[in-house]
Amino acid sequence: MEGQVIIAIGREFGSGGHEIAELIATKLEIFLIDDKLLYDLSSEKKIPYEELKKYDERPKVPFLSRTVSGYTNAMEEHLAKMQFEYLRKMAEGGESFVIVGRCAEYVLKDFPCMTSAFISGNKETKCERVMKKYKLSADEAKKLMKKKDATRKAYHNYYCEGKWGDSRNYDLCINSSQIGVEGAADVILSFVERKQKK
Amino acid sequence: MLQQVISVAIFVIMFGVIISEKFERHLVSLAAGALMLIVVLGICMRSPSAIWDTLNLAEFVTPSFWYAKVESAGGSAGINWSTIVFILGMMIMVEGMGKAGFFRWLCLTMAKAVRYKAMPLFLTFMVTSFVLSMFIDSITVILFLAAVTVELAQLLGLSPVPMILAEIFCANLGGSATMCGDPPNIIIGTALGYSFADFLKNTGLIALLSLGFVILYFCLRFRKNLKNGQVDVAIAYPKPASAIQSKKAFGVSCVIFACAVVLLVTHAMTGLTVATIGTLVGALTLLASVRDAKTLLKKVDYKTLLFFVGLFVVVGGLEQTGVLSVIADFIHGICGSHSYVMIAVILWVSAIASAFVDNIPFAATMIPVIESLAATTGMDLSVLSWTLACGTDIGGSATPIGASANVVGVSIAAQNGHMIGWGRYCKTMLPVTIITMLISMLCIFVRYL
Repeated sequence: MEGQVIIAIGREFGSGGHEIAELIATKLEIFLIDDKLLYDLSSEKKIPYEELKKYDERPKVPFLSRTVSGYTNAMEEHLAKMQFEYLRKMAEGGESFVIVGRCAEYVLKDFPCMTSAFISGNKETKCERVMKKYKLSADEAKKLMKKKDATRKAYHNYYCEGKWGDSRNYDLCINSSQIGVEGAADVILSFVERKQKK
Repeated sequence: MLQQVISVAIFVIMFGVIISEKFERHLVSLAAGALMLIVVLGICMRSPSAIWDTLNLAEFVTPSFWYAKVESAGGSAGINWSTIVFILGMMIMVEGMGKAGFFRWLCLTMAKAVRYKAMPLFLTFMVTSFVLSMFIDSITVILFLAAVTVELAQLLGLSPVPMILAEIFCANLGGSATMCGDPPNIIIGTALGYSFADFLKNTGLIALLSLGFVILYFCLRFRKNLKNGQVDVAIAYPKPASAIQSKKAFGVSCVIFACAVVLLVTHAMTGLTVATIGTLVGALTLLASVRDAKTLLKKVDYKTLLFFVGLFVVVGGLEQTGVLSVIADFIHGICGSHSYVMIAVILWVSAIASAFVDNIPFAATMIPVIESLAATTGMDLSVLSWTLACGTDIGGSATPIGASANVVGVSIAAQNGHMIGWGRYCKTMLPVTIITMLISMLCIFVRYL
């Protein structure tokens, strides 16, 4: 594909969103920004990676954080702002990349080359994937899915105007249980291709 | 009974919504204040006089609001306009000083005076934070001090975190030393009729004594970190003069600040009330910089002033319905006539509450409670006032959300890549807060009981 391509992928836990993003990045031979973002920020700001990881994609805890004249003690919010700034810089620098989560569909909404997709899945399929990947029982996997999705939703909805997973905020909403990881990646790629030709 | 239940519900819901940060706190307190006036005082109590007393507008035309040869108690009922007018005036003055470059100049001058050596710099900035916070709000002090600390620490190859934490603690401690250092003290002073000198002679001495221990604590705790700092003569350190935006504005702001300090220190002798002093310094700042007056006025934190207005109405409602007397009776019931127990309870409950919730609503609520306690137990009201001031001002240092200075300091560190989470913060600040609270308690026991 010619020109700058940015693909922002939001996902439910266990929907295979990360694998889809990896596949797209490999096919287009562009960056996948996921943990790379934390590693880059870690070396740029000289903050240990583990410390950043603790606050990554987490909402601030209401009763443990306070805002005074625009200043906040919530480290989650500071990291989120650093990440948003990093993404905007990358996009402004003309880089092509696939980004998973981090409210990217909202943060990069002013870039016409950005395509956003939200990956959901059937509960059973997601549960199977989580059980296999994290070696958990069905009950444990369901609990983890519920917890992770609640965290992602709270994180997203705090920073963005639109709600997490609301179809009006994304170019595409795909149920990966219906067409698989490969199929979802192909749908996104063909959408991007058509968009570029337009 | 119904009005008491409703007023408590309004207060509790207001507190909860403020903590949740779903809405801006001034909107929450104003809405709660309106509810208190309409529902509790208007509908339940059907008392227009209670509404009028709570709004307290007559205070402006009272001569003692502007001039009082003997410091008069404004009373705790209703909106404390003295506090609001004073804070407004000080905000304008501080904006003017910041714009002229005063704070940055002062920090850089201090750093230059100690030749940028880590340990002397650490000590100097702690004392600077303490002294400035005696007269200026701690948010402004930390805003400038922490920014310069980050800049200098980077040049010295040091982590700025120890210095910022020490500065935060000293700002809160310095705030406890005077009547205008921390909003709870202004509210206590104006409501109960204490002067700047009264605070200085009581909470000021406790704060000064504590400062020695605090400095020792931070030096011992961070001595290894500070040893690593290297003064590189080849580095061009920022020059103090570079901070001054306009020599004229700088000179004027220095004179106005000096006037404010003199007026505050002598206000018991001159008879000028804090409301008059606030009005004078605010007006002088605006007159001295007519061109920038609009900008200065725009920068005033009106949201905080509106938050105070709503808060005073809510607390006034609680007082009118007799809820605060019930709380006072409850404390009296627990402590009996044991003054030591009562002091300990007020000090530690204030400190613990202030570590988690805003100390301003807490102090405003507690003033009528200690008044009632003094009346029923015969305890000296001033002793209870100093206890409340120490608890609310110093207790807030224990957690990152306990005081505004903590939030601002932690945020400036994080913006510069130094993450200070709850664990890291409390590991340093909780022990020193407990030590300082113990010192304060001992001082109050020994001196007053």
